[in-house]
Amino acid sequence: MRGQRALYGYLFILPTLAFFLAFVAYPFFRAITISMTEWAGYDQPRYVGLRNFINMAHDRIFWIALRNSLLFTVATTVLQTVIPLLVAVLLAQRWHWDQVVRTALFLPVIISMVVASLLWRMIYDPNFGVLNSALKAIGLSSLAHPWLADTHTVMPAIIIVSLWKSLGFYMVIFYAGLQAIPLDLYEVASLDGANGWQKLLHVTAPMLWPVTTVVMVINIIGGIKVFDVIYVMTTGGPNHASEVLGTYLYVTAFGATGGGSPSSGYAAAVGVVILVLSMIGTYAQLRLTGGRSDVY
Amino acid sequence: MSTREQTGTNARHPFPSVVARQILPARASRVVSRTGGYLILLLLTLASIFPLIWMILTSLKDRSETYSPNVIPSKPSLAAYQFLWSQMHVGQYLWNSVRVTSVTVGAVVILASLAGYAFARIDFPGKQTIFLLLLSTLMLPGAVLIIPLFLQLSDMHLIDSQLGLILAYIGGGLPFAMFLMRSFFTTVPGELVDAGRMDGASEFGIFLRIMLPLARPGIATITIFQFMDTWNEFIFAATFLHSPTQRTLQPALFALVGRYSTNWPVLTAALTVSIIPTVTVYLILQKQFVTGLTAGAIKG
Repeated sequence: MRGQRALYGYLFILPTLAFFLAFVAYPFFRAITISMTEWAGYDQPRYVGLRNFINMAHDRIFWIALRNSLLFTVATTVLQTVIPLLVAVLLAQRWHWDQVVRTALFLPVIISMVVASLLWRMIYDPNFGVLNSALKAIGLSSLAHPWLADTHTVMPAIIIVSLWKSLGFYMVIFYAGLQAIPLDLYEVASLDGANGWQKLLHVTAPMLWPVTTVVMVINIIGGIKVFDVIYVMTTGGPNHASEVLGTYLYVTAFGATGGGSPSSGYAAAVGVVILVLSMIGTYAQLRLTGGRSDVY
Repeated sequence: MSTREQTGTNARHPFPSVVARQILPARASRVVSRTGGYLILLLLTLASIFPLIWMILTSLKDRSETYSPNVIPSKPSLAAYQFLWSQMHVGQYLWNSVRVTSVTVGAVVILASLAGYAFARIDFPGKQTIFLLLLSTLMLPGAVLIIPLFLQLSDMHLIDSQLGLILAYIGGGLPFAMFLMRSFFTTVPGELVDAGRMDGASEFGIFLRIMLPLARPGIATITIFQFMDTWNEFIFAATFLHSPTQRTLQPALFALVGRYSTNWPVLTAALTVSIIPTVTVYLILQKQFVTGLTAGAIKG
């Protein structure tokens, strides 16, 4: 009986394990191997050890991409933690129509990143975009700007899109966290004479800490592997001003913007850098949440 | 969304009103802060939906009116949609996305349920090791896999084939879906499994007739999560499929911009069509949707 049962166990996991080995584990090890070769993608790969990683040190664009990835990660983590938290606390008060507000805030979460990015590309359009039209209409034409074509505004413009798209998502997580705080805690605090702000600081904030760490870690890992929004909005331009590791990997491997021959080995090495950075992010999660990955 | 659903949701969350009274400062010019609160919520709501409303309104504009600063079209028309349907094969892309998504979701739900059940309820040697192995890559960025997967699908002659894309999606989706199903199965009382075994039911019979019906919320969660993930996926689809007949919606939208970057009614009409399936399902199954997507929170 027991032996037969175990057989069923193997039978049940076999398809999942097979898919995992064939389409995750094997490609994963192959990615590491490729990162140690010099290889254009069509010729014979040549083993070069760690040369690809050493070459990164002198690659100006790699450093721009790394810097932008970290900038994007830090900015989105801060904005996409603090703002959704404040909105959730506000929404948790009693409001008429609060369900309508939550439905509306979650709508951008539902649509794809491609749709959101294309939509905002039109909104940011220097000549016909609604943003510049609106600025002109209210007499602020001096602020009208080629948002995505200016190296100084391109990253902030993209970060705004990311915030718009994910606000509802993180807000819902915080909102659920707020609902889970036992009401007795507030009663006890009231008995101790705490006022509203003191309760917010001494009851709500510490009780929300586990949820906050989860939100931050999702943000960090999402920031390190950001790709879609930037690829669709700017392909890393203008002049690499919005290049991140993800877009640099992709363009290096598949040569999407023309110029420069594809270099699969070097691109795979950039992938290893993304991998290491996201492992650091995951490690941070384990440390912050004490190994619990099920907080939410 | 019906009023009935709204009240239902509120009834399930009785807390806000109580919390409200206790978090807010007692009398700090209450009317002013209430008005300010409503104002902030109104602005947030508008900021969230305005781009989408603008998208729909622009798609109804006449080509000549594209660049007028008026948001509302003076002569609304469906010309852009007719053009999309007759010239741009949007029906083909929609169908491709429906096909790829439904096969992927179906396979992931079935295989993840089987594996999740085994990991939760059947003992077999090596279980823990295999489980941890499957979980080890949960945070793996897709970008790391794109080069080797491209090579592998080339080796298998599955580049530019929806089957190749589907296989990659299933492989990528299974570990997380299995993990979620396992946690659902562990909450089902073990006595039911033992009772089934006593009655002489086969392991597969127990899974199918006893466990699966009880794990319906879990199935709903992974269905929604996988549906959204697959429908909205861009980079794998853009890389592994080339010919327009194979292409799914997201890379097709991206390609459309290259050709019609100045024809905004057609572009926005395409974007609108692409979000209709997901937004419709969302508005009908709102509660399950929010649960399903935020369950993906730990995956990110």
